[in-house]
Amino acid sequence: MDQAIEIKKLRKEYRGFALDNVTFDVPQGFIMGLIGPNGAGKTTIIKLVMNLIRRDGGEVRVFGLDNLRCEPEVKSRVGFVYDIPRFPEDLRLRTIASAISAFYDKWNDNRFRDLLDDFRLAPSQVFKKLSHGMKMKFSLAVALAHDADLILMDEPTAGLDPVFRFELLTKLRALIQDERKTVLFSSHITSDLERVADFITFIHKGRIIFSAAKDEILETWGVVRTAADGLRPQDVPGARGSRRTEHSLEVLTSDLAAAKGRLGDRTVCDKASLEDIMFFISKGNAHA
Amino acid sequence: MRKILRMEYLFSRRQILIVLAIFTAYFAYMAYRIDSPRVFVIMTSIMLGLSMPFISLGREDKFKTAGLVCSLPVRRSTVVLGKYVASWTATVFGLGYALLFTAVFPLSKFSASEILSARTLLVSLFLISLIFSVILPFTLRFGLTGVIILLVGLQLLGVVAFALAQFAGRARNPMRIVVRAIEGGLRVLLHHKLTPGFLLALLAAFVALNAVSILVGRALYLRREL
Repeated sequence: MDQAIEIKKLRKEYRGFALDNVTFDVPQGFIMGLIGPNGAGKTTIIKLVMNLIRRDGGEVRVFGLDNLRCEPEVKSRVGFVYDIPRFPEDLRLRTIASAISAFYDKWNDNRFRDLLDDFRLAPSQVFKKLSHGMKMKFSLAVALAHDADLILMDEPTAGLDPVFRFELLTKLRALIQDERKTVLFSSHITSDLERVADFITFIHKGRIIFSAAKDEILETWGVVRTAADGLRPQDVPGARGSRRTEHSLEVLTSDLAAAKGRLGDRTVCDKASLEDIMFFISKGNAHA
Repeated sequence: MRKILRMEYLFSRRQILIVLAIFTAYFAYMAYRIDSPRVFVIMTSIMLGLSMPFISLGREDKFKTAGLVCSLPVRRSTVVLGKYVASWTATVFGLGYALLFTAVFPLSKFSASEILSARTLLVSLFLISLIFSVILPFTLRFGLTGVIILLVGLQLLGVVAFALAQFAGRARNPMRIVVRAIEGGLRVLLHHKLTPGFLLALLAAFVALNAVSILVGRALYLRREL
């Protein structure tokens, strides 16, 4: 499988936080969701891919090109959407687009206008008068108007109402199906990722917990529930996290089939949702 | 770089025109009150040098669009070069407007030939270069906060120099030395005979100042995290 992004041993240190030898690939033509709690390092990874912050070590290749040495070539193939769109607030959409379009050889004005129509935006609208959702849509229209092969989005659905989120995700899904683009987007809204992502990379405290196909994760990970005194977390095969209440014990496992096989009727075993996984790893008692 | 220039123009053109319209009152007042065309040109250059670049850089700070510029397919070194050229273009445009306005302003005390001399123009460019070389690298790296830190730092330096001056005698007063140096420099700029050698030296200093400033600005901007 060709890779759109290859990240190897990426490091970035801040006071009190370090991105620790992060390694994962984003396959070409798929949607990958970068998931993790707030402060896990999702934005840091995306900014490092875009060279908006300086890396302390490691390597990032986009379509086989080093993202620092071939910065203009790489960025010309990337459509980038910030979590909070950053455009001059007092300008009209057409003026902003006109300034940005000059940077892209493949900018397509007709496509941009179609996207604005699609998002029910008018070129004469002033940016600051748009709602947050509309600003995100404009940002997406700019990212898509130059026929980018890779769309990078940092928390694009944060702060959007469910209707806007659904629209945005539907658009992303259509993009992949129709044009075989690659999308990497970070989010802590797990339901969004379950709806559209093909692959999931989970990051916690600057470390990759897993990076795999979504279906495989949802098939193999599970939550084992039992009475509080019936089991110890380490008795569950593939235990990755646990939560104990007064009357019950819940254990997150990355090997649901083995857990079912060994524990049988003594427990209730369910498939884990991404939200379960995020909760147990970030808030429960995490196990190696 | 042309693309950066175009972007700066599209993003800030209205504000530049508004500021120049406001400055017109100042130009008129100065042309009416000041007798020396050189003083007028120097004051105007300093004022424009201190204000024109910050129209676009201030807007970039306000709307946090540095992240947008750096996400575009262009190297940061090109962005820095583009911002210097944009600052120069806006300032020279402003200066041209000021000189033209003063030349045709009916109540002006000086004629066009007095203002538009090679010396006054070269001195103007040199002074603007001095201002840019100190302030632009800080602004590119730290935004307008950087300029404020720089100005506060310079004020603190002034306080230290003033305190030192109280202890040192009149002859060894460091402030006196600095003021004398600036005065001497300006005198040379304004009164030295306009020989080809002098013009060449001025041009070389102008180029060197800008080149060093751009290199420092570039090195600082590469470290900026957005």
